[in-house]
Amino acid sequence: MSTMSVALLSQPNAGKSTLFNGLTGSRQHVGNWPGKTVEKKEGTFTYKDKIYNVMDLPGSYSLSASSDEEIITIDYITGNDSDLVCILADASQLERSLYMLSDFCGINKPALLVLNMMDVANNKGIQVDEKELSQSLGIPVVSMSATNLKHYKGFYEAVESAMENPKALKSDKLDKILTEELGEEYSQLVELVDQLNISSYHANWIATKLIENDRVALDIVKEKAADKGLEIMSMVRKLGDKKLKVGSSKFKWIDSIVKSAVTREETAGDYVLSKLDRVATSRIWGRPFAILVILGGLLLSFVPAMPFMAIGMGLPASVGPVLLDFFNNIGAPMWLNSLISEAVLSGVGYTFAMIGFVLGVSFVFGLLEEVGLMARVSYVFDESMSKLGLQGKSVMPIMVSFGCNMAGTSGSRVIDTWGQKTLTIAIVFAIPCGAVWGIVGLFTGAIFSSSTVFVMLALLLTITFHIWLTGKLFKRGLVTDESHAGMIMELPPYHKPKWLNLIKFTFNRMKTVFFKALKVVIFVCVIIWAVTYTASGNIENTALYRFGNFIEPVTLFFGLKWELFVAWIFSGFGKEATLGVISALFGVTNNGLFLTQATGVTAGATLITALTSTVTKPEALAFLFAYMFMIPCFMTVVSAQQEIHSWKWTSRIVGYYLASSLVYAFIAFRIGLLIW
Amino acid sequence: MKALSKMKKGAKGKVIKIEGDGRFISRITSVGLALDNEVLVVNNDGRQPVLVYSRDTLIAVNQKEGAKLYVKEVSA
Repeated sequence: MSTMSVALLSQPNAGKSTLFNGLTGSRQHVGNWPGKTVEKKEGTFTYKDKIYNVMDLPGSYSLSASSDEEIITIDYITGNDSDLVCILADASQLERSLYMLSDFCGINKPALLVLNMMDVANNKGIQVDEKELSQSLGIPVVSMSATNLKHYKGFYEAVESAMENPKALKSDKLDKILTEELGEEYSQLVELVDQLNISSYHANWIATKLIENDRVALDIVKEKAADKGLEIMSMVRKLGDKKLKVGSSKFKWIDSIVKSAVTREETAGDYVLSKLDRVATSRIWGRPFAILVILGGLLLSFVPAMPFMAIGMGLPASVGPVLLDFFNNIGAPMWLNSLISEAVLSGVGYTFAMIGFVLGVSFVFGLLEEVGLMARVSYVFDESMSKLGLQGKSVMPIMVSFGCNMAGTSGSRVIDTWGQKTLTIAIVFAIPCGAVWGIVGLFTGAIFSSSTVFVMLALLLTITFHIWLTGKLFKRGLVTDESHAGMIMELPPYHKPKWLNLIKFTFNRMKTVFFKALKVVIFVCVIIWAVTYTASGNIENTALYRFGNFIEPVTLFFGLKWELFVAWIFSGFGKEATLGVISALFGVTNNGLFLTQATGVTAGATLITALTSTVTKPEALAFLFAYMFMIPCFMTVVSAQQEIHSWKWTSRIVGYYLASSLVYAFIAFRIGLLIW
Repeated sequence: MKALSKMKKGAKGKVIKIEGDGRFISRITSVGLALDNEVLVVNNDGRQPVLVYSRDTLIAVNQKEGAKLYVKEVSA
């Protein structure tokens, strides 16, 4: 089978990701561009015995080489990696959306114009004459709605025929407008550039990009011009600052094209904000509305999550005894029985329960993104979030994390720049989830009694400080100053959701996370099982006990007895299990196997008595801080890696939290010693 | 000529001057707020970003950035 390459190019909000997902389904790979903090999305589809590689180019508004995204995009489309560039435009906003096409005009590369969201355009009374448009542009044009799977056949056919009969975008009309607008000196500049004989670009493209002081064009001239270079640059200077004129010429070109191929019904009156937008963008109601949307979304996420959670949580109790009996009956050794019915089963159950969250959050927040509500949330929070180097949308993962960090991390998918997404995840790790508060409350109440309020206050202040610190530390490598220089954002029109598509995408995504997580979780469960397994049920016979005693001289430095140190490590696997772990370690519940105890119900009152008699207040304080700033849980790390696609950054975040939780423990312990 | 950030809700006009560096000009142009383009101010309370409707698109522009765009107002 032969393989062809297609690149997808468009401004944000034109439905490029929807098309990419629709084309590739689960046959996609997400990584990072080498050496860049930009997400690289590739995939394949097959049509008529041909495999097509699809490259989803990073979202950018133009081809002006002023950000990493744009440089990658230009390098990719002008290189030899793609056979066809599909330029997407939003048919319902053609007059603006075609700007990417106008910026592409002059690049000698086979292209296909995809008019997406045609259904929305038709509903607005916009009709496009594809044939006429294709004639004036010189490239094939296909209309579709990427959310409608029935439209893909037309797209495949268009791609196939565009590959068989490759055509580059005609640039004569744009040239004419530019010459009229910029005058004689511009024509002279074009002539000079034309003498360089650069095949992949039309001389006008390079000339206009030189006027825009664009790095790619400057590099080309530097490389190819030799003796002509000075002459060219002096002509550019002579032309003066004509950037604005270049921009308006491109829009004149768009207008001329649209005029001949697009008809639209006259609308009565000016555009007014819808009632919903009046609330969503209001100075007073905007933020409460956005918070309500996120909280509502979080609650809704539980609906699809519930069945998975019920099945997952119930698995050890329902299937465990059956397996146990089965292995006993066939005479399997005790350790094997324990390994399967406890370690592996716990892992499967846990993963299944947690995956429900990913499903719920991906679905609900994907929905909010698709209908356009997420853009409004971003709008009202953009200014305050930009102080942390983040964008408005980051508020969603952060808020969701107060419920569940893993859900928050998965939700960070809606953040469209990789750097800001990674920075958001780094901050999300600092948010204590629902399980943490329950345990912290119980622990503080039991041990600090009258000073509980002060301990809680200290924790809250430290969390706030830690979020600020994390933002400051991680921002440097992730977010450049330019990327958040003032908000200029589009608020896309509200769209009706396409349920079937959304469900399909969500399940596809969940499948990948599930199997990745399952492998890791089972592995971890087996390790825990191996170090805690004891046939007698006595903790002193376990490898963990020996390890704990061995390492205690070091852990005491941070104010942590070995039991609490081990509990700290275990809290990184799942914070909700911590009370159970502590009970098992202090021998409060001394029957059965460690793993069952650790994940099972704990004897609250007995635990508290045991703790108050063996742990001093400074030690308890040290543990609380260590616990609070430990990584949220294993699944959050897996889902962070799923979003970040960089082991380097995921391990940086994990390492940072391991280190900082011990540092906080150390400080808290020393302060505790001074007080008590 | 009036800065976009000073325009009232419902005001219309044509962009006639844009200040700022190359990056800003490239960014603002690419969302459709280029020279000679018509704009309609949909909302502006002086503090929140200005909401502008131009070329079938609703765009939010920060007050600070809005001060760099100059518009020749036309009566509605």
